[in-house]
Amino acid sequence: MKNPIIIFVINALILLALILWIFKVPTAGNIQEILMIGGVLLLVGFATFIGISRLKSAMRKEPLEDELSKSVMTKASSLSFYISIYFWLVMMYFSDRISLESPSLIGAGILGMALIFFISWIGVKLFGMKHA
Amino acid sequence: MRNRIRELRAVKNLSQLELARKVGVRRETIVFLEKNKYNPSLKLAYDIAREFGLSIEEVFIFDDNR
Repeated sequence: MKNPIIIFVINALILLALILWIFKVPTAGNIQEILMIGGVLLLVGFATFIGISRLKSAMRKEPLEDELSKSVMTKASSLSFYISIYFWLVMMYFSDRISLESPSLIGAGILGMALIFFISWIGVKLFGMKHA
Repeated sequence: MRNRIRELRAVKNLSQLELARKVGVRRETIVFLEKNKYNPSLKLAYDIAREFGLSIEEVFIFDDNR
């Protein structure tokens, strides 16, 4: 039961930080910032989905994690790491064409890596682990 | 690799959740196994086969078609 609670607490903290960022920092509201907010909200939604599914497992008295869920996480992690290398190469190539400061560029890169993991996770879930 | 989990479960009148609890995995794992989307570990294959009172070869059928 501890695991889903930690997920929900981290989610709440991320949402709080996002709300503070939106209301306290004067932003131009350009397309890059809207994309970043969208990306963060998508990841929070993904984490909430994982938290709810683990909460349901706990209520059904199932293990929160088993060999399949661990394998899916491992496969999604390795796949997203592999794709992320190329993602960073693309980011470096376009870094002088994008009007983002270095910290924002690194932030966008980290957010991109998280989104790649999310997409990899969906892919592994969709196509299965048969040949793993 | 194919398996006869769905068929054997129906014979024993076991739900996916009941089988999952008996072998110590999540229901989702049984769903993945029945859809042939996951090849189980040797331990899980052994636990499932033992639950049905059969050998691993009688539950999991190795199919060499790739």
